[in-house]
Amino acid sequence: MTASTAIAFDPTAEAAASSMQVVGLSKRYGEQRALADISFDVRPGEVLGLIGPNGAGKTTLMETIAGILAADAGNVVWRGKPLSLADRRDVTFYLPDGLRPWDDQFVLQVVEFFAAVYARPEREVAAIVRCAGLAAVLGKRVSALSKGYGRRLMLVLALITPHPLLMMDEPFDGFDLRQTREIMNVLREVAAGGRTLLLAIHQLIDAERVCDRFVLLADGRLRGIGTLDELRARTGKPSARLEDMFLALT
Amino acid sequence: MRSPDTAAVHGAPFRPLLAKELRGALSGRALWTMLLILCPLVGYSFFQAVSLYGEASAAAKDQTQLASGLSPLDGVLVPTFGALYVAVTLLFPFVAIRTLGREKETGALRLLVQLPYRIPTLIAAKMTAICAAWLIAIAPALSAILIWLLLGGHLHAAETANLLLGHLLYGLLIGAIALFAAAISESSATAAIITLAFTVGSWVLDFALAGQPGVLEWLSRLSLTQTLRTFEQGLLSIGLLLGIVAAICGFAALAAIWLHPGVAVRTKAIRSITCVALVTVALALATQIRLSIDVTEDRRNSFPAADQRALAELRDPLVITVHLAPEDPRYVDLRRNVLSKLERVVPRVTVRLAGTGQSVVGSGSDEAYGEIEYAYGGRSTRSRSTSHREALPILYELARRPPPTPIAGEDYPGYPLVTSAQAALPWFFGALPLLIIIAWWWSRRPPRIPPRLIEEGGRP
Repeated sequence: MTASTAIAFDPTAEAAASSMQVVGLSKRYGEQRALADISFDVRPGEVLGLIGPNGAGKTTLMETIAGILAADAGNVVWRGKPLSLADRRDVTFYLPDGLRPWDDQFVLQVVEFFAAVYARPEREVAAIVRCAGLAAVLGKRVSALSKGYGRRLMLVLALITPHPLLMMDEPFDGFDLRQTREIMNVLREVAAGGRTLLLAIHQLIDAERVCDRFVLLADGRLRGIGTLDELRARTGKPSARLEDMFLALT
Repeated sequence: MRSPDTAAVHGAPFRPLLAKELRGALSGRALWTMLLILCPLVGYSFFQAVSLYGEASAAAKDQTQLASGLSPLDGVLVPTFGALYVAVTLLFPFVAIRTLGREKETGALRLLVQLPYRIPTLIAAKMTAICAAWLIAIAPALSAILIWLLLGGHLHAAETANLLLGHLLYGLLIGAIALFAAAISESSATAAIITLAFTVGSWVLDFALAGQPGVLEWLSRLSLTQTLRTFEQGLLSIGLLLGIVAAICGFAALAAIWLHPGVAVRTKAIRSITCVALVTVALALATQIRLSIDVTEDRRNSFPAADQRALAELRDPLVITVHLAPEDPRYVDLRRNVLSKLERVVPRVTVRLAGTGQSVVGSGSDEAYGEIEYAYGGRSTRSRSTSHREALPILYELARRPPPTPIAGEDYPGYPLVTSAQAALPWFFGALPLLIIIAWWWSRRPPRIPPRLIEEGGRP
């Protein structure tokens, strides 16, 4: 643990009550700063939106939290205990953006692979497939899926995983309005079931609809965190939309 | 939606992972393309080998001495499997790289490393898939063996199994190198270049450095093709076997070190240095193991049985000092005919080259050049012969022992067979490729979808 993270680490009852604390995460790509001392907490069962324009550092932040990208500094704390890199995958699962995993295999095979890895019974897998509307393409190769069905496959894989914290990068990208609402309902249902969701979203209208709280990022820096009302109070704009507050804070 | 059991995050069964890897190996074009290329390559090599063997057999038909020189290992098996060696060197890297390269390119690796498997488990599954791919790839060569038997050809089980083992280890070594290359590369193309640098680089070492003195000679021993040569000569060298296994494990361990994208490069580099050091120690220890078994039916790597028994009883240290340059053809003869056989049978033998700086050029002024000095039990004598027929009597004289009586009936009879593999050509150029295409098509058929998933999954 670095000195800065040791100071920022807060093992109080309040901190332990949160699912996860991100403490002082920093990352550079050569001379370019991708994340600068990012700290925030994630509460159990909430849908937390990671909001920011393209290049804000949303994906880098999620990948460093998931442990699939090495952070230069900082730590991730889970229920009051620091998480080592190897332990991250025990509590979080991260679904990257625009992925077509194992694209030469059939959708059914990829779904069954995840179900077998996590020992999910067929009944539950069938319910997840129904919920995400993937049944029509189970017999297709992953490479043959449309963008929307590709997203649905990723959603199914996410729902099969048993991790208490699920991180999804741009989960609504590629869906039309009706489909986006469907997926939002599914995600709300997941959160209601006790899982915590961290969603990276660049469409602020979508984020406003589905998220309980927001982490605002720009240029790798944390610009604000809170519920809509808390952000409104901070910006002094009582009826402002998320879009207005984001512009005001960044 | 019910929250799943988070306890399932810890540990997962190996079987689904292995099934995914095997599907991945079978679903790509690389393996099937390699198989299709192997058919004519192996077929033509086999046809030529059998033709030449048949011609030699016709000449040796009524001459026992000539017939005893006809061994199916040298005449048919090694040349037929030579085609497999070429394909494994040049094409198998693409099959092996695909097991990881595709996942890196599509980003699936980022999902894979989050699954509840340890990184060594992921690499073990990939190495198993590579091994399975190699087993499929040798189908044309195995069919050639079967045809040879159908033609009435002879095979010695131990030497055939030893040759297959050598090719398996070579295939796994290439696979492990390819996996390591895929782990450190961002694209499959780069990984292919790195792997081919190893394999084709070995050929360069073979051609350019073989027979050179000093460090160059040592460098030439690092060639990957050297791993196969001993098996082709019918020797099962335990030291070599362990050395290759250490190298395979080393490259697989390096692949595991470099696989996880979340580990800092500095950490990976430190772990790699440790890994390389451990493998180097393992290789050094393996070179100290001199135990080897002559599995050939004609016992070409051993002296006659009576001499073997007599030499095994020499308990004092035997020191042989050779006044020859390592690149001198006489030294190559001496090593093959006498020294390597003595090293395998005499319990305490030391072979020394008289002058490390000696070379064929400029050796004319040295009167001792060309001499081989044998010292045993406080006595010594010199000879210039590179044949065991002269060397062994010298040793018996030094040991004050009578030469052993030859054991009757131990002569290798040879297995001449006047035949042609013309009839096998349609198999390698037509039927087998067709079967491979059918198997390829069959492997690509969609899986049966469980009715429950369709009924409950419904259309969106």
